[in-house]
Amino acid sequence: MRLWLPPALLAVVLCGLSAAMPVLEPLFRWIQPDKQQVIYDRGSFLFLLQNHLLLVVISAAVGTFAAVAGGILATRPAGRDFLPLVSQVASIGQTFPPVAVLALAVPVLGFGEAPILFALILYGLLPILRNTLAGLEGINPAVREAATGMGMSPLQVLVRVELPLAGRIILAGIRTSVTINIATAAIGSTIGARTLGDPVIAGLVNGNTAYVLQGAILIGLLALTTDSLFEALERTWDRRFSPQGAMA
Amino acid sequence: MSVTGPVASRIPPNRVIPALALSALVLVWLLDLGTIQPNRIVAGTGHGLLSSLGWIGAGLVTAVLAASIVLSMVPLARRYLLLLGLTGLSLAALPLLLEVFASRHLPEDSPYARSSMGAGFWCLLFLLSLMLIEILGRLKTRRSLQLMLLVFVCGSWLTLLRSDGLESLSLVREFNGQGGQFRQALWTHLALAFGAVSISAVLAFVLALKMIRNTAWRRPVLGAVSFLQTIPSLAVFGLLIAPLSALSSAFPVLQSLGIRGIGWAPALLALIAYSLLPMVRNTFVALTEVPESLADAGRGMGMTEGQVFFQVKLPLALPVIIEGVRITTIQAIGLTAVAALIGAGGFGSFIFQGLGQAAMDLVLLGALPTIALALLADALLTMLAASLKPTSARS
Amino acid sequence: MIELRNVTRRFGDTVAVDRVNLTIETGEVCVLVGSSGCGKSTTLRMINHLLPHSAGEILVDGEDTTAMNPQQLRLNMGYVIQGTGLFPHWTVARNIAMVPRLLKWPRQRIDARVDELMKLLDLDPATHAHKYPQQLSGGQAQRVGVARALAADPNILLMDEPFGAVDAITRENLQLEMLRIQRQVRKTTVFVTHDIDEALKLASRIAVMDQGRIIQHDTPENILRRPASDFVESLVGKQDRGLKLMSLRPVRDLMTPHGSPKPSRPGADVLREDDNLRLALSVMLWQDLPQVAVFNARGEETGVITRERIIQEGA
Repeated sequence: MRLWLPPALLAVVLCGLSAAMPVLEPLFRWIQPDKQQVIYDRGSFLFLLQNHLLLVVISAAVGTFAAVAGGILATRPAGRDFLPLVSQVASIGQTFPPVAVLALAVPVLGFGEAPILFALILYGLLPILRNTLAGLEGINPAVREAATGMGMSPLQVLVRVELPLAGRIILAGIRTSVTINIATAAIGSTIGARTLGDPVIAGLVNGNTAYVLQGAILIGLLALTTDSLFEALERTWDRRFSPQGAMA
Repeated sequence: MSVTGPVASRIPPNRVIPALALSALVLVWLLDLGTIQPNRIVAGTGHGLLSSLGWIGAGLVTAVLAASIVLSMVPLARRYLLLLGLTGLSLAALPLLLEVFASRHLPEDSPYARSSMGAGFWCLLFLLSLMLIEILGRLKTRRSLQLMLLVFVCGSWLTLLRSDGLESLSLVREFNGQGGQFRQALWTHLALAFGAVSISAVLAFVLALKMIRNTAWRRPVLGAVSFLQTIPSLAVFGLLIAPLSALSSAFPVLQSLGIRGIGWAPALLALIAYSLLPMVRNTFVALTEVPESLADAGRGMGMTEGQVFFQVKLPLALPVIIEGVRITTIQAIGLTAVAALIGAGGFGSFIFQGLGQAAMDLVLLGALPTIALALLADALLTMLAASLKPTSARS
Repeated sequence: MIELRNVTRRFGDTVAVDRVNLTIETGEVCVLVGSSGCGKSTTLRMINHLLPHSAGEILVDGEDTTAMNPQQLRLNMGYVIQGTGLFPHWTVARNIAMVPRLLKWPRQRIDARVDELMKLLDLDPATHAHKYPQQLSGGQAQRVGVARALAADPNILLMDEPFGAVDAITRENLQLEMLRIQRQVRKTTVFVTHDIDEALKLASRIAVMDQGRIIQHDTPENILRRPASDFVESLVGKQDRGLKLMSLRPVRDLMTPHGSPKPSRPGADVLREDDNLRLALSVMLWQDLPQVAVFNARGEETGVITRERIIQEGA
């Protein structure tokens, strides 16, 4: 239970701060004495947080589904021809800077939520795909052979043996992907998506450091909350599936 | 036919290239190959393959794609070499399509009119690149050959883009419009990214050594650098503004050095902070993973600690350290683009200016070179790491 | 000569080596044998000061090693470890040249020495000098390890389970090779192994260790004939000691020589004077002969050996 305490606490702080930012007005006024408006008000922080989260969750869900499906297909006998290409693309794709991918989505899809979602899915897919392939390819062939030899069907081998064994690595891929996507979604404000990046961008444009701070603190908190959530998830996974890890 | 029988069984048909080429064929006929805009901002009119290139051009594109499908199916011993030649040449000659398109459709009397690449062209470029990657993978070519191919394709693109025929291309127009600023952005981008990488490399080296000598440093250092890595870049840039502007107003000396809340100083600082995690982790892991038995063998034969470090540990750790430099460099090139938001310059300034003005060609002028830089750094550093590994023919 | 006087090594509260006294004469091969964790490797590593000793004295040629510069000390001691410890980023030639280079020998002398050593260890310089350790077989790599240790012609050779990681046939060959080289170069050698047969084969004297102490320090024959404790007895094997003793003695000892050597007769698998009695007996049992002829290195028949005599006097 102590594992879940840090993410829970961070989440409470994050939500509390988003709801009660106006309370801190005196503090921000001290930081930014020369501006009339020191609390960002073109959208409530809770709404921005919710929208930011929604973008990340949708892209993570779609990305995970697509990447795991793709990874499985490319490692089956029928799709094995595509494996070298898929793994090459997964690793080359990750050298593309996320900002550049985001920027390239705009000419194709225009401004707003659509291009950012597209870019987040596409870019977030790559680390998951890469880890899925690494996880499935990394399984000792003897294990797979033993499962087949004892009469499991290919589907059973996949569901009961391969996916549980590769799951930990896939989870790590999802963590990487979500971390990157929280950051990229924040930059998405520049192409018209409503996220926690909005106050930062607005503050930078107007020279209002208070706005920048509010956005930056909330983005940072969101990232930390998510990261500690994944930390707890990974620890739980380790305890359940690898007894040595639990003893250590 | 009886002769080709056994050969055919040894060379199974490739299914990947036909799939890619077929998709390319469908997309290039369905989508617009190019667009003509009357000026920079107004939306243009799209032209399909046939309208863009005429019967001859469209036929040629179709023929090349069809030929690659056929080549990948027939059991020829040298077919991947043939495919490599075909795909490489097509990629290198791709801007010619734009040249033909511009010459057919650009109105001659309007100086502001520009042609730009349509979705069909981008798809063709993307799928041809995938085909090339697939072919190179099947051929198991050396990295130096791959680099030569890359240089050939890029060289051909640069030459064609600078030729007279493509003057009207929006990207070229935009580049000419920016003039010296492009070069300026390139240098700023490079200086920030490589400055951050080199400074963090030195810092990481010192930290890694500290962690190796003193185990008490390990957890706090790794914890701190992964904490820094978790905070999104925009937040870090934002969080640095207030303290740095406070510092610079308190100490005018700093201000005269150009250190302010926005600009290169917070950008460099944030980039270094980001670069520390991959650098420290790889350097530390690389140095600790050199088997202790090897260090012992060195000591046992009379090497001093210094000789053990510089002659045994460091050379063996170098490929993994370089891998860290590679990850860091790619990351830094991408983050430098974000740093343009706090006024650090570089290619990111084109991206965000373009987004602000809804000038997509300016966005491309920023995004494409950023990607190119990242890919180039990736290729060079991968090659460097590979060349430093001792030949591992058999284990 | 190496002398250990009351040498003790503690790791925290545990005593790994407990008041060990051991004298290794110049030119002899001393094998430290015992099960894992008995302190044999620790003892070896204290001799070249890779591990400092907690108490006692270690003297090399009468000089206390604690007073010496450890690098200087080690440069004069060849060191071979299990799994070769060859540097994977250096070629075979560079690996062998390691100590001479540390000693700043002139280039030509190093090249000549590398060539000489590779030939001594039966490695063809032309084919192997520029290979990397990963490209060698286990046996070849181990030979390079030995060549590297011999490179600067040290007086002392320390070998820590050098043949532990190679297969049985390769190990046998390396052991024979080592005996041959030892006859040529006569190094004072300390050899650590857990394999009692290897110890019996290679040692001038064996030191049996258990729980950080030396239980018995004696010649192989005495270890077999008069084990000092139950531990030593079980280590050498109670039941097949007779055969083990036979394998220590050469055929030459018990053969009946001819007056003058008879001219050579062709034949590949003949018994030689240097072969051991165990092999001679085995040949006779297999071919069901009461006696066999013995040949010298030149292929001349120099005598005969009988089954009866081996059984009476062999062990």
